[in-house]
Amino acid sequence: MKTWSRLSLRLRLTLLFVGVLAILLSVMGWVFYQDARDLLVETTAAHLRARAKPIIEHWLYGKPLLTTGKQGTPKHRPLKEIAPFLARDLTSRNTTALILDERGRRLADGKRLPEEPDSAPPVPRYVRQALKGKNEVTYEIRRDSLPFLVVLIPLRTSPGSRNIVGVVQLTSSLASVEKTLARHGLMLAGMAFLALLAGSILGLLVVSSSLDELKTMVSTCRAIADGNLGRRVALPERKDEIGQLAHAFDGMVDRLAETMGAQRRFIANAAHELRTPLTALQGSLEVLLRGVQDDPAAAARLIQGMYREVTKLSRLCERLLDLSRMEGVGSLHKQPIALRDFFEGLLPQLERLAPDREWVLDAGPHVTLQFDPEMFRQVFFNLAQNAAQHTAPGGRIVVGWRLATRPEGVTLYVSDDGEGIDPEDLPHIFEPFYRGRTRGTDETGSGTGLGLSIVKAIVTAHGGKVEVQSVPGKGTKIILSVPFG
Amino acid sequence: MEGKERKLEGAGKPRVLVIEDEPTILEFLETGLRYEGYAPTAVREGKRGLELALEEAFDVIILDIMLPDMDGFEICRRIRERGETVSILMLTAKKEIEDRVTGLDAGADDYLTKPFSFKELLARLRALLRRSGRYREPVEFRAAGITLNVETREVRREGNLLSLTPTEFELLKMFMQHPRRVFTRETLLNRVWGYHYIGDANIVDVHVSHLREKLGDKPPRLIRTHYGVGYSFHPEEAA
Repeated sequence: MKTWSRLSLRLRLTLLFVGVLAILLSVMGWVFYQDARDLLVETTAAHLRARAKPIIEHWLYGKPLLTTGKQGTPKHRPLKEIAPFLARDLTSRNTTALILDERGRRLADGKRLPEEPDSAPPVPRYVRQALKGKNEVTYEIRRDSLPFLVVLIPLRTSPGSRNIVGVVQLTSSLASVEKTLARHGLMLAGMAFLALLAGSILGLLVVSSSLDELKTMVSTCRAIADGNLGRRVALPERKDEIGQLAHAFDGMVDRLAETMGAQRRFIANAAHELRTPLTALQGSLEVLLRGVQDDPAAAARLIQGMYREVTKLSRLCERLLDLSRMEGVGSLHKQPIALRDFFEGLLPQLERLAPDREWVLDAGPHVTLQFDPEMFRQVFFNLAQNAAQHTAPGGRIVVGWRLATRPEGVTLYVSDDGEGIDPEDLPHIFEPFYRGRTRGTDETGSGTGLGLSIVKAIVTAHGGKVEVQSVPGKGTKIILSVPFG
Repeated sequence: MEGKERKLEGAGKPRVLVIEDEPTILEFLETGLRYEGYAPTAVREGKRGLELALEEAFDVIILDIMLPDMDGFEICRRIRERGETVSILMLTAKKEIEDRVTGLDAGADDYLTKPFSFKELLARLRALLRRSGRYREPVEFRAAGITLNVETREVRREGNLLSLTPTEFELLKMFMQHPRRVFTRETLLNRVWGYHYIGDANIVDVHVSHLREKLGDKPPRLIRTHYGVGYSFHPEEAA
């Protein structure tokens, strides 16, 4: 078993295939051979009987052979008298007749010539059966390893009569039958071998072609493991399991590459975000060290700037941590919360972000939803902050919800009538650090570029989806679909 | 102070226009450049920077690429379109080669990748000024009968060659470049020994006293001691 499992899959499959094929062919061959043999033997027996019948009838019932009895009625000559002639007539080149009387005693043996087979010694059991009137007593014997067929024919006083006076035993050589059978057997074996060979080759080819593709997949896997994420199996279109596997595999690598690309972009972006504060810090420090430290007013300005940058850095770190925390779903504290209560409590807090905008609550049906209130508060703070940033004073910001079907849940939204989002930016706004061309004049520099990414992460953690609709100049609507449960 | 440009006094000083939207970076560039003897003008908006660049004569423009209202490449192209030959040093936050190529194609003379060292920025500014020939840094400083040549690294007093150690040479150069400026020991340490030097500031005193000895500096001294603060160089009073 150990060596078996050490063999390559290709060899194992081929061996298995060939083994099963060989067993099937042998069984079929054996059955066919036996069947053919039975048929041939039966045919031979029937032929012997058919040939014997007119001769027996001629000798037993033929008129010229009738004698006249004492009373002048025709009478059969006693079997003893006709037996030698009958035996001789029934004997041919490969068949010898033996005549037995009603007691099973030998009356005559037809064998004269050496090429004629010797009569088989009568088997009393079969002779008795024939004497009792059984017509079809046939059996095979083997003498000097040669096969013979023995056929017993009861001799009746008249056709169909129950009066049996003796038995003819025909011993016929089955050599020709055996020869035919041997030829057939050889042919069968040869054909089986050819079938096996063809089957093996075909099987090996099929298995190999499948396994070759597995091999391609293996080498592709290795290449990918070595860091070449651009590689794909890319099998030509095929619908079988291997094709499905290859397709699924490619799909998985695509997804991984995408994720890794996003990750790489994220890191690059994060590094980029770090670069500006770091440049400011390094430069300020250098300038201080070069001597500006001796000028208290200038030094104070630089130090204030450095403080600002350090604050920015720590906020960025915090947000990054938020984001990574959000991406692990583990820390969700979901609880059933009535949406109306949640938003009625939240809206005044949102208003404080930008009191000079018009804040509207567009309450939907009274429903309870499972979510983490702390996280949802952050979601709506981020969305509200964005909305406020991109609307002019006096702008209208609406927060609301509706019931949704497929999936059963709630859609929550924050919409504004602000400047909208450039269509080119739209696909990217949820990417970490993405800043659109309309980034406005963010005087405070408070935006970390992570707000919407955090929103997306939180909503995704709740099994929901985020969508955005925006018309430049008209406004933006961010829609969160959150399923029940 | 943000959002409006400041122009500085100083005839003969190289004029530098700094266009950068990050306030802290702008602040240190302006302060640092002024301290190093340049006449900087600081602007936060790209459009205003372009206007200034076209209106006034600057020796160098330090230009950030990522500006909210108009990007650095555009400003660069517009300046070149007008046939201005002012040297332009681009600041880029991206390392990508295309950015540099685009910058140089747009007409920049040099670029620096953020974060950069201020020392390197100064070196590149000097190189740009040298190349453009607009402003030549003096090779030789003369004061109070002392001649210091930056290129040959020779120092003579009344024609006699003095043999100074590299540290003493750098100290003297600092003093002669900035007459009357009071340098604290820490500043001298940072600028002559380097930012990473960690040690007793008294080493400055030792080297200054050696320098004085070699210069034959007797009271009233050329190199004056400010007790508890540092040193300054006063050539005219000693003469």
